[in-house]
Amino acid sequence: MAPVSSTSTETDQVLVEEKSFARMFTLNRPKQLNALSFQMISRLRDLFFACEQECSIKLIILKAKGRAFCAGGDVAAVVRDISQGNWRLGANYFGKEFSLNYLMATYSKPQVSILNGIVMGGGAGASIHGRFRVATENSVFAMPETALGLFPDVGASYFLSRLPGFFGEYLGLTGSRLDGAEMLACGLATHFVPSERLSSLEEALLKVDSSDPAVISATINEFSQVPNLKEKSVYRWLDIIDRCFSRRTCEEIILALEREALINSDDWISSTIQSLKKASPTSLKISLRSIREGRLQGVGQCLVREYRMVCHILRGEVSKDFSEGCRAILLDKDKNPKWEPSKLELISDNMVDRYFSKVDDEDWEDLKLPARPNLPAHAISKL
Amino acid sequence: MDRVKFRTQILNRHLHRPSLSSPSSSIEPSICLQYSPPELAETSQFDTRSMRELMDNHNFADRDWLYGLMIQNKLFCSKERGGKLFVSPDYNQSMEQQREMTMKRIGYLLDCGVFEGWLTGKGVESELRKFSFLEVIGMFDHSLAIKIGVHFFLWGGAVQFFGTKRHHEKWLKDTENYKVKGCFAMTELGHGSNVRGIETITTYDSNTGEFVINTPCESAQKYWIGGAANHATHTIVFSQLNIDGKNQGVHAFIAQIRDSDGNVCPNIRISDCGHKIGLNGVDNGRIWFDNVRIPRENLLNSVADVSLDGKYLSAITDPDQRFAAFLAPLTSGRVTIAAAAIYSSKISLAIAIRYSLTRRAFSVSPNGPEVLLLDYPSHQRRLLPLLAKTYAMSFAENYLKMLYVKRTPELIKTIHVVSSAFKATLTWHNMRTLQECREACGGQGLKTENRVGHLKSEYDVQSTFEGDNNVLMQQVSKALLAEYVAAKKRNKPFNGLGLDHMNKSCPVIPSKPTSSTLRSVEFQTNIFCLRERDLLNRFAAEVSQHQGQGESKEHALIVSYQLAEDLGRAFSDRAILQTILEAETTLSAGPLKNILGLLRSMYTLITLEEDAAFLRYGYLSTDTAAAVRKEVAKLCSELRPHALALVSSFGIPDAFLSPIAFNWVDANSWSSVQD
Repeated sequence: MAPVSSTSTETDQVLVEEKSFARMFTLNRPKQLNALSFQMISRLRDLFFACEQECSIKLIILKAKGRAFCAGGDVAAVVRDISQGNWRLGANYFGKEFSLNYLMATYSKPQVSILNGIVMGGGAGASIHGRFRVATENSVFAMPETALGLFPDVGASYFLSRLPGFFGEYLGLTGSRLDGAEMLACGLATHFVPSERLSSLEEALLKVDSSDPAVISATINEFSQVPNLKEKSVYRWLDIIDRCFSRRTCEEIILALEREALINSDDWISSTIQSLKKASPTSLKISLRSIREGRLQGVGQCLVREYRMVCHILRGEVSKDFSEGCRAILLDKDKNPKWEPSKLELISDNMVDRYFSKVDDEDWEDLKLPARPNLPAHAISKL
Repeated sequence: MDRVKFRTQILNRHLHRPSLSSPSSSIEPSICLQYSPPELAETSQFDTRSMRELMDNHNFADRDWLYGLMIQNKLFCSKERGGKLFVSPDYNQSMEQQREMTMKRIGYLLDCGVFEGWLTGKGVESELRKFSFLEVIGMFDHSLAIKIGVHFFLWGGAVQFFGTKRHHEKWLKDTENYKVKGCFAMTELGHGSNVRGIETITTYDSNTGEFVINTPCESAQKYWIGGAANHATHTIVFSQLNIDGKNQGVHAFIAQIRDSDGNVCPNIRISDCGHKIGLNGVDNGRIWFDNVRIPRENLLNSVADVSLDGKYLSAITDPDQRFAAFLAPLTSGRVTIAAAAIYSSKISLAIAIRYSLTRRAFSVSPNGPEVLLLDYPSHQRRLLPLLAKTYAMSFAENYLKMLYVKRTPELIKTIHVVSSAFKATLTWHNMRTLQECREACGGQGLKTENRVGHLKSEYDVQSTFEGDNNVLMQQVSKALLAEYVAAKKRNKPFNGLGLDHMNKSCPVIPSKPTSSTLRSVEFQTNIFCLRERDLLNRFAAEVSQHQGQGESKEHALIVSYQLAEDLGRAFSDRAILQTILEAETTLSAGPLKNILGLLRSMYTLITLEEDAAFLRYGYLSTDTAAAVRKEVAKLCSELRPHALALVSSFGIPDAFLSPIAFNWVDANSWSSVQD
């Protein structure tokens, strides 16, 4: 019925389909698991801005080609820039990405993201801020940044901190993976639709001539089901997660987990401790602080703060763990990063504070978020 | 006449809305009914994050952690209004339910490790963390903070400061983890501020090595004892100690009042104080002691002891000094009360100012848009001076807190005087601010969920407990007089309590000060010092005049109460000014320093305008007073653009404000009724 956009070719990293009431964007970089390139981010930003102006467009559908929705940002490119002494290029990349996140978080029309595969890091940033997130049996969610020497960015300090209890701290610090059922249970996903029904769902959504969230939600509900949590789901450990991850410091969180391990020999506890001990200690500390500040801030402030943090990381003033993490995990793949400082105890509050301060560089500026006409309640915060 | 016509037109428009009857036009609420977040219109000229750090002063990340602990747990009754989450106790619950909720919340905070190190921790760092946590807890609910304060600061503090090693080892750890729940029985029905007059009496039985505590008459019943009505297992008992028929004055003992199952112990009678105007989450009770026997070791013996065979032993022979040494450590209560008062003012101002930046009333021209409340100069005059005072007093509280945590024996007197002055001044300021904010929010201020009105009843007690404000202020002027007498008698310069300005020559106030003079540090300091200096001279003269007529010093002080009150205020205002000045001086030139300068000027000039002493004693001419008044109005309009940023800098999470601080249209919409 509606013509496929003529600009869409095989080489386009974002495919665009123009339907009568909807725009459908498809991330198209399947070999790289749809990792967000600078080009993709710019394209999405332009597309989202343009669609907001167009009255006939009622909703946006964001999906992806291949087995991943989006495995994250194009970190490899950023690390290349850093190694060439060009941290500003990296900062520019993150600034653009965070602006896109903000645009999505404050968007006036509903965004439906079809998360039929891997959703990690930047992929979460490009979907979770939107109104509807549809998980499937193929969904795999994670914020794995602490293992890379980074921290959960893309506004994760906003959405992780608003998950039930202290589940956000758990996900953000350990990088633990969730399946579709778990995403639905904790609220990262708004619906669960079996992948075999996705094409029918799409068809139905394209017929919706409304931006009313209730109408769209009802449409998705027709294809949804409530999946059972698997027997070994982390979500069943919520009590222990709350008890341990509510502690004041990273050190105390690990201590609390070790105490739990004494009375409960489940593998889950030991593997949780393991992932914390493998992560960059600096990353753990700044991530915990970031999530806790984020809990008290609006999404815009979260992104501005995260931008400060990421600039400090790119400059490598306090720690160079990000380069080291990328080397060990993405480039050399020896999976054996040498973190520096190597232990939590070696990182003082002052060192953590520095990540949250303005960058000491004359030309540097805080992230300027795009002006938004109608700020939703959750975007407002005065802290 | 025009006005009438204008109103008629408006009514007419309301009654005949053409848009409603015409199907082609979309139905949209008129502009005056749409909520627009203040963030869209107001931009911040300074970094609110830095300002928050300046104000909160310490333990920012710890505070944020604790805010988060409360927001994430359902015990703190979070509910969504207008798309945002708010936490607050349910004040519609019965007194009994509120008390049980308070205890449950304490249990949760305990499990989270909030109280770790509150009594067993050492050093400035752990003390500051404790203070910051108590401040944050008080922003959620005053009852919760008071219940915790009684247990840790009064019961725990008494064990810590009045007790010795044996008490510390036995009680501190168990107090920190709530194995024992403590209360603090000092006030009696017949004696409050005059602790030395209490009537509870304790004797020593050398046959059994026990003390025997008695309530000899109804006026000796312990009264208002927080925690006594329901939960406390132990209490500190303040009592006269009678050894061999000789009264040794007031001493403190530990007595168990309930067993671990919560049953009241034999020879103890407890009754509830009943429903109160506020703080119903705290179980205040009354206690009678009927020959209650406690082991000799339960005397808190840091200052005095009784030997096994019943001999009274004390290194301090003078009972006056003994009593003073005894009570000195209790100043922590005044430090925390003053802090709680300031945070309560911050909450109410943040709510009232945010509301005034989104609520409109009346248009100034026909068909024109209605005007934002805070764009009315009169509304600015109501709220912005209180905002400036809150800023100044926030720095004063920070100063007091640091003075307290870094205390040395030499500083005891200063801490006593400053904490008395600031406790009284800051809590009075809070009540005034709450009332003004309540009224500034109009009808919405009356809803409990909007906080500002309800806080009045929760915080009213602050002017009474831990020292009646008026009594405290009398002590301030009495202490100043003592400094005066000492300096004159020994012909030595003034030293301490900030009185060194008395050594200099009397400052001269320019007769026709310009706007920039009025805003200068020099003028502001001089006028405050002049007032303090002159009042101290007058007070000393009046007291000595009465004494010259053969009256006792005590009587002379009592009849000179008017000057005493003026002097107390003069001391307090001048000391507060110095603290905000100090904060300003530490900053390097820039927007933050400029805004503090404006606030400092507003603080000073509004004080000049409000305290009649400046005109009464002629420190200001009527002309200058008129110039001050003009300058206040000017400062209001200059602070107006910063209003939002200034309340944002308080760093109070949204969830701790209230629905009218955000989208109050959505929060009150019909769809929210149906949820």
